[in-house]
Amino acid sequence: MMQEDEMKQQPRKARNKSDHVLSPELSYKVEVTDKDGLVIQREEGVSRSYVRQWNEIFQLQAGNVASGGVVKDTSGVTQTNAYRTSVCFKCDAGIGYTLVGLRVGKSSTPVSISDYALGAPIDEGTGIDQLEHQLTYFSGPSVVGSTLSFTIQRSMVNHSGATISGIMEIGNYIFFTASMMSRVALGFRDVLASAFDIPDGGAITITYTLKVTA
Amino acid sequence: MKSGGLWYSVTVRDRHGKVISRERRRARSMLGNWYRILYAQMSFTTCSLVGTNGIDRGASWEQENWKFKAAADEDYIGIVIGTGTTPVTINDYKLDTQIMNGTGTGRIRHLASAPGSPSVAGSNCEFLTSRVFLNNSDSSIMVRESGIYCRCKGPTYYSYACIVRDVFGSPQDVPDGGSITIDYTLRVTA
Repeated sequence: MMQEDEMKQQPRKARNKSDHVLSPELSYKVEVTDKDGLVIQREEGVSRSYVRQWNEIFQLQAGNVASGGVVKDTSGVTQTNAYRTSVCFKCDAGIGYTLVGLRVGKSSTPVSISDYALGAPIDEGTGIDQLEHQLTYFSGPSVVGSTLSFTIQRSMVNHSGATISGIMEIGNYIFFTASMMSRVALGFRDVLASAFDIPDGGAITITYTLKVTA
Repeated sequence: MKSGGLWYSVTVRDRHGKVISRERRRARSMLGNWYRILYAQMSFTTCSLVGTNGIDRGASWEQENWKFKAAADEDYIGIVIGTGTTPVTINDYKLDTQIMNGTGTGRIRHLASAPGSPSVAGSNCEFLTSRVFLNNSDSSIMVRESGIYCRCKGPTYYSYACIVRDVFGSPQDVPDGGSITIDYTLRVTA
């Protein structure tokens, strides 16, 4: 059933906001601020980067699958006994928690439908090339006109003592369940149009907007 | 199909199985309730959600959220059809005028339905959910809308939520003894 003739995409430039938008839509905003809070770099774009795990986990829910679902986790292990769960898609990561939630990384490898993790994720901490991951913030779903949207946002602070350069990818790690254990999968990933540099004392903030228009 | 999203197709057959009408298009019909459940799951919190009975029992995290696998004769869950033509709005919480299960006048038999396994081809991952409805009512039935009802749990009570609704481009006349098949394909594209 699974066909593996994947095609790697070319890196995409951030799209213009006026591009034709089809529902549903996933979009992102990336902002870097210096130690005084001044925005020094920004990018916004429409994401096309849901990966296969997103649909596979949704199918477990829609089909009320009780066992035997197949989902690859972020460590690259294919879990063969995944099933419906109350924690599916959960990504409300707390401070310092990097198992799930929004992450950033340095890989510029183009997004593939079978990506299962960021290419080179930045770890939690204050050491070299490490970031302090802050609390995940959600805005509640709101309706404006014929559109419903909500956002997920997370900041990461650089207290490493040096600039962290070359941030090229962002993504979201989400929970699912397999073999009676909580597992983590990549839900979506984007490669940025340009590299982001985070000065010491500065921060990077990722905001994804999930939107559907009837 | 060239891009991610939700797609549907409608196929009407006569009593001999011959295809007499077909419609296939991209759905514009994922409703707010789909994303309200997603919000509850991702944030592990609760939010408002009006069920198919018109009552706001909210959405919370729950293992049966989004379940739309349906057994035969179940018309409160799974793919459903109706006769309404009211345009789709983001806050729709049910079909305009649902056709209920049965063999009486204006009724149609609902067969079992379950989402298929996801498959990957090229840069896409998709799965198909299909449901067949049999018209044994002794007269033709005009179908104009379809949708998906799923299981949903609020902070206290379970309910059913309408997460998809489409109004067809052309009304589909299902003859007595014939059938109508609704296919929904959910696709993500990297």
